[in-house]
Amino acid sequence: MSDGMNMTARDAIFAKLREHKSPQEDAYPLPPVAVFGDCDASPERFAKNLAQMGGKLLPRKPGESIAHVIDAAFPARQNLCTAVPEVEGTLRIEDLEDHYQANKVDVMVVRAAFGIAEVGGIFLSEVELKEHLADVHLAQHLVVLLSQAELTGNMHTAYRDRSEFKTAGYGVVMSGPSATADIQGVLIRGAQGVRSLSVIWD
Amino acid sequence: MKIGLFIPCYIDAFYPKTGIATLELLEKLGQNAEYPMDQTCCGQPMANSGCSPDAKMTEELFVRNFAKYDVIVAPSGSCVHHVRDHFDAMEQTADVRHVRQNTYELVEFLHDVLKVRDFPWAEFPHRVGLHNSCATLRSLRTASMSELGEPFFSKPKTLLSAVKGISFATPKRPDECCGFGGTYSVTEEAVSAKMGLDKVTDHHEAGAEYIVSADTSCMMHQQGCAERNGVPIRFIHIAEILNGAKA
Amino acid sequence: MSNKPIPHAKSAAEWIEKEDHYTFHDERLWDMRQKRDEQMHLLPEWQDLREQASRLKEHTLAHLPHYLEQFEENARRNGIHVHWARDGAEHNRIVESLLKKHNKTSIIKSKSMITDECEMREYLEPRGYSVTETDLGERIQQLDGQMPSHVVVPAVQKLTGDVAQLFAKYYDTDPASDDPHELAEAQRIAARPALLTGDTGMTGGNFLVAETGTFVVCTNEGNADLSANLPDLHIATLGIERLIPRMADLGVFIRLLSRSALGSPITQYTTHFRKPKKGGEMHVILVDNGRSDRLAMDDFWSSLKCIRCGACMNTCPVYRRSGGQSYGAVYSGPIGAIIDPTFNAKKFSTLPFASTMNGSCTNVCPVKINIHDQLYKWRQVLAERHEIPFVKRALMKMAGRLLAQPALYRLSISGAEVALKTVPRFALYNYFNQWGKHRELPHPVKETFHSWYKKNRLNKEKGAEKEETEA
Ligand code: SF4
Repeated sequence: MSDGMNMTARDAIFAKLREHKSPQEDAYPLPPVAVFGDCDASPERFAKNLAQMGGKLLPRKPGESIAHVIDAAFPARQNLCTAVPEVEGTLRIEDLEDHYQANKVDVMVVRAAFGIAEVGGIFLSEVELKEHLADVHLAQHLVVLLSQAELTGNMHTAYRDRSEFKTAGYGVVMSGPSATADIQGVLIRGAQGVRSLSVIWD
Repeated sequence: MKIGLFIPCYIDAFYPKTGIATLELLEKLGQNAEYPMDQTCCGQPMANSGCSPDAKMTEELFVRNFAKYDVIVAPSGSCVHHVRDHFDAMEQTADVRHVRQNTYELVEFLHDVLKVRDFPWAEFPHRVGLHNSCATLRSLRTASMSELGEPFFSKPKTLLSAVKGISFATPKRPDECCGFGGTYSVTEEAVSAKMGLDKVTDHHEAGAEYIVSADTSCMMHQQGCAERNGVPIRFIHIAEILNGAKA
Repeated sequence: MSNKPIPHAKSAAEWIEKEDHYTFHDERLWDMRQKRDEQMHLLPEWQDLREQASRLKEHTLAHLPHYLEQFEENARRNGIHVHWARDGAEHNRIVESLLKKHNKTSIIKSKSMITDECEMREYLEPRGYSVTETDLGERIQQLDGQMPSHVVVPAVQKLTGDVAQLFAKYYDTDPASDDPHELAEAQRIAARPALLTGDTGMTGGNFLVAETGTFVVCTNEGNADLSANLPDLHIATLGIERLIPRMADLGVFIRLLSRSALGSPITQYTTHFRKPKKGGEMHVILVDNGRSDRLAMDDFWSSLKCIRCGACMNTCPVYRRSGGQSYGAVYSGPIGAIIDPTFNAKKFSTLPFASTMNGSCTNVCPVKINIHDQLYKWRQVLAERHEIPFVKRALMKMAGRLLAQPALYRLSISGAEVALKTVPRFALYNYFNQWGKHRELPHPVKETFHSWYKKNRLNKEKGAEKEETEA
């Protein structure tokens, strides 16, 4: 590696920063951590915001199996890849051999570590994804199992309270499916990542 | 209270009736207002072009002309903004500080200092679109700004609401800049004129017969754009309506 | 790089002539501003958020060396390689050396303004590396050989028809397509093979969290998570100003960012990278490229608070009406106008003048940068450094002298000739003539206020006749 060169660059940058900084340290104390706004962590609030972000809540009748809910929502699906014990699927995420195989997955099922009511977001990390970080994004559709007990109110409480942000190597908050509005401002859900994101309470 | 009246150069030269209305209005309200004859300009055109040093002598003249008054009133938001917020090129003597602290735009003077709410002589049976210049809106804060989401208030509207027969048209983008911007109107004339046209069109489509404003410079620009493009709308300074102009 | 001042006024004038583009551009960005307002109204704590965000950024910038060290230490402990680049060229060389070392040739890249700032594609491509932009808007701009027009929506200046023409050339789609869905799908289909075969993933990043050594990437299309995670090598480029102190501070910024940018509560993906993936390597390149110089400027350092939400662009009436390309810079709009001159004061000397200084940018800025005050200050700085046109300077000098002498001034506006020694007549004439190109001049009046006052007040002090109000 070009370590020598980089040390020089590092030193040069730090030397400059230390020498000429305009804002004085004393004038700008660190403000205490702030938690503002609505901290309601109810499933209703989550569901409302999930819908706003383009996600879906799949209805589930009492006693109905998750597999049944998924089959009802995706009648035409072929490859159902699963990262959860509750759903058998056609293949397990651990068994994906390469990304090309993941690229052919119609529906991927995962369990989220937690959800954030304010933005209808769900959190996934290498733990839930069994280290298959890219594969979840290659699937066409994503189904997420989420426990109502694992909801946090808003982004402040999420970052303050959920230790996953400090332990995960890769952690993504997904709020709805991939989307773009890059062509003439038209909102398109299903851009390059998953085309749809559905949540099932479990 | 002795008032020094500042009539900016373009009002002096092109819109004297706005100056007259301002003076008469203050007199009607029982005020002792005087126009120092040696006044010229506040220095804004030079300073806004980056040439503060060139504005300095003009600004010093302004202070010499007006330091002797208790308050200075001008029917122009952008000039007052300049005096208050940008009179920095010269030494900050007691006179300079006095002038900066006591210069008021007409609407804020009427609304905040004299606290006038009645204009029994005023009647304006027309639908008007109110144009708040960016200086009055965002620097002098005479009305609420849409970007901040603050509770609605509008000092010019409060005053105008006391005028018999007046009604208001609401444009789609009430806070949008009209594109005058001082020397901007010539350095980027195409964008400036397009903004002006968009502005007057917005008011016209909202049903305004008149655009009323506390800033003549914005209206001079808007009028130029309206006339060139045949947008049928008229312009009047708020001082004239409050002073009793009927049309 | 050419040093010629960017002809913003001229390019903008040309842009205005493209009426359908002009109208869409203005309305689309205004709509984004409206959606931002809706989000602001939903959150009573909006101003508190802005204040907190501003204070956190100011604190971090005032303690930048400390937090950079903290970030570096934590990131290294987690297995991330941290590199430092003084400028764009150094950044590009670091990327190249990593590619060489790992025997890589094809980069799949998610949108990042800073690699555009470093002109990385221009450096790598002639050296045999392929760089594929995977963000739709950025890809459109790449295919068209243009800089991003906007920090959040890079191709906002194009209409569907323009994209259809472009994609027809490269993706073999219908050149007459007028369906954005169809075109976006074409990008998805074209991007997949590139994503699957690319051997190096590059991303930018919105935030660096010192406390944990995390970098955070906020996106909507899913391409960043694919680009970063598919290959075994992930290189992320971030400016040294992107730091925030604690993980618990991130909420403030995430809550503001997409609401300010697009009026959506959050981006679809908020991704936190803290460690390389299993079997992979992760590199973070921290780039200075003028930032430390900017931090030393008393009037302009706070522009480093910027989180690149683009709200100032959306609200700016001049940007909306002139199009991002007219700024001739990686960063356009109000934020561009205050940071571009720090890169090249001559070339970007026109940008601080591409503003009416209406101030709405300052009010929408989620980190409370006093943008319009900095525009005003840049004008003073540029004039002092003689970076404004000669005619304008001469004119201002003359105006300043004239307006400071009441007698001479009165003479001049009464129509008498004033000696115009410093400026040739035709130059002056051209300058004033600009007014009349698209506007009528004010109508002449019979007398000035000055002479009216003399007649009706000064000379009438004897009697107290009432004046007839002029109709
Ligand atoms: S200057 Fe403020 S409003 Fe503009 S992009 Fe940066 S953070 Fe956003």
